[in-house]
Amino acid sequence: MNDDDISVESRLQELGPSDSINVVQLLKQEDQEIEAKLGLDSGILDVHRTIKEHPGLEKRVGAILDKFYPRERSQSHTERYEEDIDDIYDVEEHREKSDVTKKDMGSAKDVVPPENFSHIVGEIYRSSFPRPENFPFLQNSIKLKSIMVLFPEEYPQENLDFMSKAGIKLFQIGMSGNKEPFVNIPSDLLTSALEVAINPENHPILIHCNRGKHRTGCLVGCIRRLQNWSLTMIFDEYRRFAFPKARALDQQFIEMYDEDKIKQIAKEKNWLPIKW
Amino acid sequence: MDTNDDDDHPYINEETEIGHSTVQVRCAPAQRIVPPLNFCPVERYLYRSGQPSPVNFPFLLDLQLKTIIWLANEEPQDTLLEFCDAHSVQLQFVTINPDGGEDDNPWDGLTEHSIVTALQLIVQAQNYPLLVCCGMGRHRTGTVIGCLRRIMGWNLASVSEEYRRFTGSRGGRILVELLIEAFDTGLVKINRADAPRWLQSVGGMETKR
Repeated sequence: MNDDDISVESRLQELGPSDSINVVQLLKQEDQEIEAKLGLDSGILDVHRTIKEHPGLEKRVGAILDKFYPRERSQSHTERYEEDIDDIYDVEEHREKSDVTKKDMGSAKDVVPPENFSHIVGEIYRSSFPRPENFPFLQNSIKLKSIMVLFPEEYPQENLDFMSKAGIKLFQIGMSGNKEPFVNIPSDLLTSALEVAINPENHPILIHCNRGKHRTGCLVGCIRRLQNWSLTMIFDEYRRFAFPKARALDQQFIEMYDEDKIKQIAKEKNWLPIKW
Repeated sequence: MDTNDDDDHPYINEETEIGHSTVQVRCAPAQRIVPPLNFCPVERYLYRSGQPSPVNFPFLLDLQLKTIIWLANEEPQDTLLEFCDAHSVQLQFVTINPDGGEDDNPWDGLTEHSIVTALQLIVQAQNYPLLVCCGMGRHRTGTVIGCLRRIMGWNLASVSEEYRRFTGSRGGRILVELLIEAFDTGLVKINRADAPRWLQSVGGMETKR
């Protein structure tokens, strides 16, 4: 078995970046060889599993595949979250888009708010992930004091740099989204997020996740509950921002959220009613 | 012309504008606050929505409105007129097409003149807190808010995204977006001293300190 691995390895290493077809052919060939050796007659052997089960080999094949399909692979890493790809913050994707903007930041006169940007109430705002082109807007037009991000991944350095330069404080509440068939946002986490959001000391504050649809939508829904809005109108607002990807589970979550604790905290600190 | 506009006939549309044979919701679910259809804050103390009905009045009181801009040729429901009277809210009519007369279609777009009239009210802080509304809070309100965003220097993609967020399942109208894109922002005279705070840092209006 060991001898075979070395030969696969050395052949893979010989490949140049333009040899993607060869990789496929090589893998097919290996398929057949291993299949013959193990006496399988299923037709096609799961070459992916064979490679996966050998840690050294997996790494090397991975490195080569990365050269051809860097994007696809980075997305496959996130499968474990079982969420929409849209919802997941992807470091690679973020950096790529930022690099493009840095190159053509020529027409800096435009005021560029982030996607899905809106006021919520008073000086609480919502949006999708802010990118460098949005920084002037956040600093000069909104004059942000804090940003609250609702995902667990590491915050990108360029955003941190911008924030320290502009004197903006970061709050991170790592929640994963609600994906069928499970509700995943723990109520405690939401309570602590609300505690940050409605505290006037943090205002003006921007709340965002990746797209500003689901996690942010859940949080805004709960803010509306603190304002005593009817659920129908809360759901209507949720769907407006989540369009076209509204989730029944998020709406359930908003309805089921137990607001007693946050109401008690807010009452003690005199945060209610939230000022318009 | 966009043939889809026929779909928007207010008396066929099930979410009709002026309450013809619609179900009236007279009171809010117990202890719940009901904002008007398509309600959203635009800037501090500036709001947008569809036509408020009695079920929304407790909510409107919370906002402590000073002015409501009503974008339509016809008058709003009597209940809204009474509400404004009772709570001394200034109801500003901005006729959408003054030359249209009786034949005018309620789903026609705004004229440049009416956009400027509405915006002239919006750029004065003395009218705040202020609500901009039309029948559904979609296209006419969207046009005015879109032009306001242009004045604020927003890039057009963001303006369009915001407009479409409120247009419902049938989506945005190209004509409205063309109107917003072509709008001459110089037509609105802004007096810096009278403008709301968030408008004072806009583009060429930056105050020297």
